[in-house]
Amino acid sequence: MVTQMQADQVPIIPDLMELDSRGTHLIGTRCKSCRELYFPSTITCRNPVCDKGDLESTRLATSGTLFSYTIQYYQPPPLFRADNWQPYAIGLVDLDDGIRVSGILSGIAFEDIRIGERVILGVLPLYIDDSGCQRMTHAFFKLDDTVNYPGVEQ
Amino acid sequence: MSSVHILGVGAIPWGKQTVLTQLQMALQAIDAALRDSELHWRDIDGVVAASSRFEGGMGWGLHANEIVQAASERGVPCINVGGACAAGAIAFQTAFSMIASGQSEAVVVIGAERMPKGFIPRPPGGADDITDNDFLRWVTMGLTNPAYWAMEAQRRIHDYRTTHESLAEAVMLMRKNAANNPNARFRTPVTVAEVLASPMVTDPLHLLQICPVSDGAAALVLCSERFAARTSRKSVQVAGVGIASGTYGDPAHRIPTVGGSVKSGVPHTSEVMSAAEKAMAMAGIENDDVDVLEMADNTAWHLLAWPEMLGFVEPGQGDWMLKNRRYDVDGDLALNPSGGFLSFGEATTAQAVLQICELVWQLRGEASGRQVPNARVGMSAVLGLGANGGSVVLKR
Repeated sequence: MVTQMQADQVPIIPDLMELDSRGTHLIGTRCKSCRELYFPSTITCRNPVCDKGDLESTRLATSGTLFSYTIQYYQPPPLFRADNWQPYAIGLVDLDDGIRVSGILSGIAFEDIRIGERVILGVLPLYIDDSGCQRMTHAFFKLDDTVNYPGVEQ
Repeated sequence: MSSVHILGVGAIPWGKQTVLTQLQMALQAIDAALRDSELHWRDIDGVVAASSRFEGGMGWGLHANEIVQAASERGVPCINVGGACAAGAIAFQTAFSMIASGQSEAVVVIGAERMPKGFIPRPPGGADDITDNDFLRWVTMGLTNPAYWAMEAQRRIHDYRTTHESLAEAVMLMRKNAANNPNARFRTPVTVAEVLASPMVTDPLHLLQICPVSDGAAALVLCSERFAARTSRKSVQVAGVGIASGTYGDPAHRIPTVGGSVKSGVPHTSEVMSAAEKAMAMAGIENDDVDVLEMADNTAWHLLAWPEMLGFVEPGQGDWMLKNRRYDVDGDLALNPSGGFLSFGEATTAQAVLQICELVWQLRGEASGRQVPNARVGMSAVLGLGANGGSVVLKR
């Protein structure tokens, strides 16, 4: 489990995620009035039954369950950028705090991907930028039964 | 409220346009609709255009204004509406309201589009920051439009044991229908094996299971009951129309989002289901009454899932319906007798208008080679970016 980035690694965009002793968290928004969670971060609460919309930034759960996935066999156009691009999987994951998010699904052979699988968030290098830094995005990895993840139901 | 009628329809053949400009395509489709109505431009007292973001419209989406300036400058009210792939349905709703209110007597509805090649480019003016879904989906994972549908299809395979063959049979049906539609772009029949042999784009969707982009145009002439009574042309009555936006908690992972909450009780693709519910309620019909459904088949998955979500069959029954020919033109519910977007390709602003053209041809018994026997009630359903849904019900 990655709990911090190396010195030459930078998030692909600022404020996307935070790493701590429990692993990788996406940063979302919570409405303090209706408790609704949002990802990505939002400047408004759009829950139609909530009239207040007093918002705070929050760290989302590090683990979840794979709802669906696909494997992209063609390289996406810019703005996507990746060094040494190969066909890759993207997953749609129900995070344990109830929000459904998408992200690259990494480290699993395509034929071994199963809907319902437990997955954990981590970071994945996409490319090396002009200043020599590895640009890291969030990605889902198969939850390893042999590892104890603090606070994660396995 | 005055009843509203469709007096005439027109479309040009869809494909990759090398000669006509977007404006010329629009004018040709309108000319066809006017001829079909046995009317002239001077009979028209309103134009509603589904506005393109790609070209024309003086950069402001003023496509209706461009059209009247080219065709007939007589002070005719021009309305230009957005709605991405559902813009045609929103234009239809607008024209319907103009006539039903008594403000207009005969209104042209037009959608015409020349699509850019390849992946639809990202529009300018995004926030390009952490709150911008469209920015995030590209930068953090490169999530393409068909990949959103592929994840729906993959989940369907898990939930209902849908097979790759079913997803190919949907394409086979569209091509079979299109073979007899002179306006369709892809008119060569295909087999299941040919569909599955086409390149895998985004698993489980192959190239032939994803609608490409096209150039195309379609037009309608709507009129009041009083106006229709004065002409010799036999009109088709608009029985119901509905447009809607999305409902919070929709289980669809909607393009271009990267995250959302799913709420129980909210229908999948809520913008389309809400629109269809409104159109059916206004028409006073049940699912069983519908003979022809023209729906947006952006991918093969849509053809399996949408008739279920719209209430025509039980969830998971779509595969059986396809396999047993119940969606054929002579089946229980004729599904996209036109050949659908899989055979036409997407010309965003024009496609919802084209759906309504096909319904009119079907209800008039003029859909030679693909005619649904004794078609009496037709329904359309379309989805556009930004959570735009539209649906129209026509009765003979």
